[in-house]
Amino acid sequence: MTIIDLMTTKKPDSKLRVKVLEKVGEHKPYSCFQCIRCTSGCPAMKMLEIKPHEIVNLVKLGFIEDIINSGVIWTCAMCLKCKERCPQEVAPVDLILALRNLAVETEAKVPEGHLKNVSMILETGFILLPREAVTRKLEKFSREKLGLPRLLKPGEKFKATFLKALEAS
Amino acid sequence: MRTAVFWGCVIPHAQYAYELSVREIFPKLGVGLVDLEGVSCCGIPVMSVNMNAFLYMATRNLAIAEKTGLKDLLVPCSGCHLSLSEAMHYLSHDGKLREKIASLLRDEGLEYTGSINLWFTIDLLHSVVKKEAIQRSTRKKLNGLKLASHYGCHTIRPSSIGRVDDSENPKKLDELIEWLGARSDEYPEKLDCCGALLLWSHHDAAFTFAGLKLKAIQDRDFDGLVVSCPACHMMFDERQKVVASTIGSKLDLPVLYYSQLLGIAMGIKEEKLGLHLNRSPVDNLLEKIG
Repeated sequence: MTIIDLMTTKKPDSKLRVKVLEKVGEHKPYSCFQCIRCTSGCPAMKMLEIKPHEIVNLVKLGFIEDIINSGVIWTCAMCLKCKERCPQEVAPVDLILALRNLAVETEAKVPEGHLKNVSMILETGFILLPREAVTRKLEKFSREKLGLPRLLKPGEKFKATFLKALEAS
Repeated sequence: MRTAVFWGCVIPHAQYAYELSVREIFPKLGVGLVDLEGVSCCGIPVMSVNMNAFLYMATRNLAIAEKTGLKDLLVPCSGCHLSLSEAMHYLSHDGKLREKIASLLRDEGLEYTGSINLWFTIDLLHSVVKKEAIQRSTRKKLNGLKLASHYGCHTIRPSSIGRVDDSENPKKLDELIEWLGARSDEYPEKLDCCGALLLWSHHDAAFTFAGLKLKAIQDRDFDGLVVSCPACHMMFDERQKVVASTIGSKLDLPVLYYSQLLGIAMGIKEEKLGLHLNRSPVDNLLEKIG
């Protein structure tokens, strides 16, 4: 799979590239010399064909819309090996996170699971509701039944502040 | 020592065995735990949507912990520990960002000063409780067991902000296992990711990540897998059946938290450690321990 033909005559998206650089700092994509240490250790590459070095290169070239719309940015497992191992401190995962934020801002297609996290947090302060644990013998246990203390929600002002934080980028 | 505890989302809403065993072992080792009021998700689940919202959430939880006046904060979830560590790191290096987040916190009547020490289960046991006190607390020796350790990606990376152990050659969890008398052998897949964060977009790939690691460990004849992150435990233990069917293999590897393993060695009753809640066949391991 390839995101874009590097010999394309298509013009890069300069404005979107500036937006990515504002988020990660100019040095990040431009210090990359394509040594491919990131891709060689990437666990998602084996299964989902994400190539971190290719994403860095495409940000450099400015084909931001193509990366965002390819959906490939959502295949990263956030294992952070690429950030750890990059000799140039480019940290491809930081670029991937910036591209994900930009995909949300530009209303590109975003996997539902990520958006559900936001709505759950707005509603409850957490990404999960208390679940009943099921044992190996298929008995059910709630927190109360296990003698664990009651869970409290964050205070009233949390929701409004969280919304305000979401509006800023 | 008394420490505040930040449990996050996964532990107190789903991974009760971890919460039970942490609450059980630490007071017996001289570490008092203080719960926090008004905390929320750590922010990592919204990092991909909005970095600003992530940093606000991480910092508000730190500010709530600081309000207790305690100097230490135990964060038993790897993801939450990374989230709070990143917020501390970025805010201490960027004055503009610090002011931006501080103004949001003021809306909630909170203030963050950066005065608290973060601990993870593994380094609190390894560096504060230490070998002698751990060995003194145990009643059973786990001799003869061959266990695999799994640290969790966010426990050890990225080293640039300071993590719980070495990013490429972590040893603390292995040593903690060995202090109980068991073996913790090296294996090539040790640093492989459990895939949990792919659950929000690519289920099958996430389960394949977990499955390939479990299969490799099982094929190397380990008696069990010891983890310290609730998201990894959910993948390897709670979801072991669906993981097995995703990769088309039979998996029956006992998976448990280090806090549970230590609790067993300390002679604590199985139910108090939440061992009845593990979905993987931990009975096989318990029989071997006797």
